[in-house]
Amino acid sequence: MAPETKARGFVGELVDLVGAVTRAMRVTLINLFRKPVTVHYPDVTREYPDRFRGVLALVYDKETGEEACIGCRLCEYICPPQVIKVEMLKAEKRNYAKTFTLELYACEFCELCVQVCPTDAIIMMKSFDVATADRRELLFDKDRLHAVGLQFEPSWATGNLLRDMQSPPKAAKTEGAHGKAGGSE
Amino acid sequence: MPDMPAPLYYFIVAFVVLNAVIGMVTYVTLLERKFAARMQSRIGPYRVGPHGLLQPIADALKLMMKEDVVPTLADRSVYNLAPIVFLVPCMLIFATIPFAPGLGVADLNIGILFFLAVSAMEIVGLFMAGWGSNNKYALLSAMRAVNQIISYDLPFIFAALVPVVLAGSLRLSDIAAAQAGFWPWLLPHWFIFYPVIGQLAFIAYIVTTLAAENRVPFDILEAESELVAGFRVEYSGMKFALIQLGEYAHAIGTSFLGALLFLGAWSGPGPAWLGAFWFLLKAMLVFLIITWIRWSFVRIRVDQILAISWKLMLPASLLLLMGSAAWVAWRSAGGA
Amino acid sequence: MTDPEARKVIELGYGGSERLTMNMGPQHPSAHGVFRAILTLEGETVAAVDAVIGYLHRCHEKLGESLTYTQYPSIASKTDYVAAMTSELAYVRAAEIVGKFEVPKRAQYLRVLVAELQRIASHCLWLGTWCLDMGGALGGGATVFLYCIRERETVLDLFEALVGARLLYGFHQVGGTRYDLPAGWTEKCRKTVDTIDQRINEYEDMLEGNAFFLVRTQGVGVISRELAQEVGISGPLIRGSGVAYDVRRAEPYSSYEDFDFKVPVETAGDCYARYRVRMQEFRESIKIVRQALDGLPEGPISSRPGVKSVGQVRVGKGEGYARVEGARGEVGCYLVADGGAKPYRMKWRGASFSNLAVLPHIIPGHKVADVVAIMGSVDPVFGEVDR
Repeated sequence: MAPETKARGFVGELVDLVGAVTRAMRVTLINLFRKPVTVHYPDVTREYPDRFRGVLALVYDKETGEEACIGCRLCEYICPPQVIKVEMLKAEKRNYAKTFTLELYACEFCELCVQVCPTDAIIMMKSFDVATADRRELLFDKDRLHAVGLQFEPSWATGNLLRDMQSPPKAAKTEGAHGKAGGSE
Repeated sequence: MPDMPAPLYYFIVAFVVLNAVIGMVTYVTLLERKFAARMQSRIGPYRVGPHGLLQPIADALKLMMKEDVVPTLADRSVYNLAPIVFLVPCMLIFATIPFAPGLGVADLNIGILFFLAVSAMEIVGLFMAGWGSNNKYALLSAMRAVNQIISYDLPFIFAALVPVVLAGSLRLSDIAAAQAGFWPWLLPHWFIFYPVIGQLAFIAYIVTTLAAENRVPFDILEAESELVAGFRVEYSGMKFALIQLGEYAHAIGTSFLGALLFLGAWSGPGPAWLGAFWFLLKAMLVFLIITWIRWSFVRIRVDQILAISWKLMLPASLLLLMGSAAWVAWRSAGGA
Repeated sequence: MTDPEARKVIELGYGGSERLTMNMGPQHPSAHGVFRAILTLEGETVAAVDAVIGYLHRCHEKLGESLTYTQYPSIASKTDYVAAMTSELAYVRAAEIVGKFEVPKRAQYLRVLVAELQRIASHCLWLGTWCLDMGGALGGGATVFLYCIRERETVLDLFEALVGARLLYGFHQVGGTRYDLPAGWTEKCRKTVDTIDQRINEYEDMLEGNAFFLVRTQGVGVISRELAQEVGISGPLIRGSGVAYDVRRAEPYSSYEDFDFKVPVETAGDCYARYRVRMQEFRESIKIVRQALDGLPEGPISSRPGVKSVGQVRVGKGEGYARVEGARGEVGCYLVADGGAKPYRMKWRGASFSNLAVLPHIIPGHKVADVVAIMGSVDPVFGEVDR
């Protein structure tokens, strides 16, 4: 809607002004009677979407009940701000993580650690309610991470689910989607 | 009138009115915040007290407890006096407003002249604040203030004089009394309902009030996003509270005046003692209209503000005044 | 070798009255981030502008050398954090161009979908903050701001359902995207886009034809066509000055040639023209989103396996430049790869960085109040400027 040209004369301009003023005031008046969009957090909990990237947690294996983390340190290597530090503990059947520290105050919540975990050990939860007055409380050690894993509801994303979503289907030769692979794994 | 010495009587009345005004000012800030919030799809203050009713108290306590910081290079006497010089005229205008027939501090026979003259004196306090702060932003804002308020005082006076001409008296209670009664079709005899002249004068009054009080769209004075609070930028704590008090008191004062001049003050259904209540309601209505305009428009530049004032508002209000004078002359001379 | 001509601050002729140097400092409600403009004032008129940037420098280009191709896309969002999807897209496309990776059709359509949704969200923020600057934090500007944020929140809710994050996503990866659409997302998307379409009518009602708004924006900050092409601005700035340059048309990427949309161009070159360009871009983006939803093909969302280790993506020796049409202009990423898992050198062309170069040419001569209007219509985001 192009603006009117200036050669409208005084009365014409005045009429435009009055029209514009009433239109603008009508919009605010309409919004006066709309329901406010405020959500009364924390009295009302917000419904988080399935894929919400909340605080990180370590989980136990569903069948055996043991810790799922095998201390492989893949999450430590991929973390861009390098907030994860893991020490591996070798045992006969499988490896464990001796220590696992995650500095949540520097975490970017990019979900890359979840993406690479081979055993779906580290996941994100549907909550971010860890506000505290002392930053040291956000330096999660392994026990705290396991506790968080039991405290909140987990998000949808786990390592295997993400990788299955991204990997091209094996037998698909449809669109020539497999170009020249530039590198190895 | 009870038989106590007149100075004591007036002192008590003034004390009551002053406290009532200050109380009203604090709660009007809450009203504005909640009204503005609803227009913006949100809820205003909500948690302090039920539905935010204790929010103004909390704000007042906070301002009283704040540290009083005075810039080193500020002109001390000017800087410290400015809030008071700004506040006093804004409070003084309530002296002439009759809240109900016979209920007012001083019903002067030049009531409206006193109101308009005193309310223009706040510029002095404003400029003192801007100058005394030793701050380029404050100075810029103070210079704009002088420009703007002086330019808009003339149309303000002319628009406010239209009801004076229609009522034939400068005394505020006479103007209010001239609006009692009804016309045919149950239309109250308020000045706003006078064909053409009433509505135009009311619109002119609202526009010039917005400018005289530095409200958007004419708030180039404080221009939050450019000058960051303008002339108030160096004030904190109680001095800031005084300046805020003065601004809102002036806003309510002009709302009361607008309700009195155009909306018939205390005339309303019900017994006579309910008149003060209707007056308050009408004043709040005028205030809400001003608030509604404030939250709907972006501000305009200072040269455009001045252009509007001198090229549009002054001729328009002058024409209105002359038109209403001509109509009154025609009515008293010949016609009905 | 510094060129004194190029570094000279452009000043108007000395008018005779006293000049005041005022700092619109890095902390300022309408600095759009951290931006310092040293204004030389003559009364209310600006005689010169000296722009100082660098307050938000976070060494992105060095980070690009120390992080691998799997890690950096999450960081790339932080350059233009308001329009994060297009920022990531520039980097990922650069890696794909140099490494000659194919992107499946579905991933291309998904990229277009999120890029256009991101453009809608970014323009919502632009409109809100611009009106906030012009109208004041206590006034009509705040009203428009809150309406725009209300609409932007609905788009961010869509992103949250898709990715899990509201502002900085990590949605793209080399070879495609990381996430696919969840169930029920397309219906939500259509509803959101319909609501926004309707609400934009309300904003136009409030602003267009409004004499206050017109008088603040028309004739203010005029960028002539020659100046636009000389200085090297892009995006809505150059399209508001009459040059029909849009990367989506000039060099179509990611299947943009499949979509039917107009590129809005205005000739006046003032703030109002740029406003009109962006408002029309709203509508065009909504059109593209609808077309993308209708025509979304089936198939994989990435041509490479999902990221399993940090050095998974290796890009062979080569260099290349990828450009995308971000919300603010042309965002580019120049990548030099040496065959390893990390780039050898990565350079960002920030759209806002080049756009800010036009300020010293157009601000002198205007009043102080116009400075904020012009800054708002240039719409810088300092993550892009300082990187």
